[in-house]
Amino acid sequence: MCRANVIYNRRLNDRDFHMALRLPKEFVDPRPGQFVMLRPAAPEGPLLSRPLSVHRFTRLHDHVVLGLLYRVVGRGTAMFSRWSSGTEALVLGPLGNGFRIDGKKQEHILIAGGMGVAPMGYLADCLRGRNLGGQRMIFCLGAKSQGELIGLERLETMGGRLHISTDDGTMGTCGTVAELLPGILGGREPEAVELYACGPPGMLKSLASSLPGDFSCQASLEARMACGVGACLGCAMTMRTDGKGVVRKSVCRDGPVFDLREICWDEIVIT
Amino acid sequence: MGVEIGSLRLKNPVMTASGTFGYGEEYAPYVDLNRLGAIVVKGLSWKPRLGNPPPRIMETPAGMLNAIGLQNIGVKAFISGKLPFLRNFDVAVVANVYGETVEEYLRVCELLTATSGIHALEINVSCPNVKKGGVAFGTDPEMIAEVTGRARGVTDLPLLVKLSPNVTDITAMAAAAESGGADGICLINTLTGMSVDVERRVPHLKNITGGLSGPAIKPVAVRMVWEAARTVKIPVIGIGGIMTAADALEFIIAGATAVQVGTANFVNPKATLEILSGLGAYMNRHGVGSIKELVGSLTT
Repeated sequence: MCRANVIYNRRLNDRDFHMALRLPKEFVDPRPGQFVMLRPAAPEGPLLSRPLSVHRFTRLHDHVVLGLLYRVVGRGTAMFSRWSSGTEALVLGPLGNGFRIDGKKQEHILIAGGMGVAPMGYLADCLRGRNLGGQRMIFCLGAKSQGELIGLERLETMGGRLHISTDDGTMGTCGTVAELLPGILGGREPEAVELYACGPPGMLKSLASSLPGDFSCQASLEARMACGVGACLGCAMTMRTDGKGVVRKSVCRDGPVFDLREICWDEIVIT
Repeated sequence: MGVEIGSLRLKNPVMTASGTFGYGEEYAPYVDLNRLGAIVVKGLSWKPRLGNPPPRIMETPAGMLNAIGLQNIGVKAFISGKLPFLRNFDVAVVANVYGETVEEYLRVCELLTATSGIHALEINVSCPNVKKGGVAFGTDPEMIAEVTGRARGVTDLPLLVKLSPNVTDITAMAAAAESGGADGICLINTLTGMSVDVERRVPHLKNITGGLSGPAIKPVAVRMVWEAARTVKIPVIGIGGIMTAADALEFIIAGATAVQVGTANFVNPKATLEILSGLGAYMNRHGVGSIKELVGSLTT
């Protein structure tokens, strides 16, 4: 576990925040799609750490800066929202397997629903770092309404094409981000594009059903977890196997990125 | 710091609790496994188990509920795929054994006994999250005595029995395990609990009920260890919400020969080692030469 200090903790809207943490230089460079477990250094708040995707990462001369996006959904994230500059935290990570980047692909389509934009910011940075950015990136961003479209300004500066949807039609196309996809994929060859998705289970499920059969998609899942390292088995999700059976995989250690078609939706609670 | 449980010699009394430390390899990046008293691996059944459907965990005040349902890779895959890694370390490996029937317990025990690198068996008669076996055996003294006795008949390894707190009288269960030939008893496993999502009016866990662990259960666990230690002559291993050295000392002073650290591993991967160094500091501060002097040293 690394000691960290809050640099800033900015409110983005009613319930979303962007936190930057300063960590010692020993902290390993994350791969896109990896996450950290975060908790306060002081013995306060909930018992367990909370998993948060790496949203930004910058290596400086004598320290690193880790950027995290989060939504206040319970006791843990409510506590994070009260942190201010200087607050001491403990960070375990980077954890999990990230997105696989195939440099041979001509286009990279990043699909994010709501807080699903969190890992996409860092993925976009890494794609640009490998000269796979600019016109080779396509962003599909969805949210309930305009006020909850986060990370928009930053993505706009990345040079990729941007498609937006909102459930209430206050910005972009009225509907879900999954509905944007058939139009975007039309005319594109499955071998030429790589798809990455992150968002609420309902969005990923409709994405899975609307994804044309010959396209594959890497999906990052979220789950309640206690340890983050594959020990508690609390974050298990049911996955299909080639032999038409099922297996339970840990989101933390086997994921959080899975093949979208591997996910068995029958046992996932969609609220 | 060394302690003995039957013929099992531990270099120190800090063990990991089954189901909270994986198969050891998950925590190897954070913990020098050589320094642990023992590693108790995730419960092993004869065949692999899928475990319960998600959601499986929910945080509660000062604790957490889990209903994993003994998901595991099966004893054969453990021996071929996980045990070779553990053999690289100078640490006692304790295999937690689970079966849906007594016969399944015995088959797992026999196979593990015939395998090198296993230092003791821990019979799990206390998992609250499975329909068969587990706590169904652990709430009946006759069943505890039978499972323990028959396991005793198939293994010469030190035999531990992990008991459930979901009983009226823990001393009857402790005595049953002792009469069956156990070398030590481990307590407590989780307390059965439940948590409700009031907005959706559904249980937080798909299994509806789960096992409560963490600091919330520590006072119950200390009380049960104290009661059990006064009842049996075999060593008692204390488990339940141990987060710090002071917590571990509560158990030891109440009568535990060793302790198992569980939920704390999730919160702090280095919890076991910090507890171990805290025990050393306490002994220095109190002029205690051997941890054994502290076992059951409670003044009432």
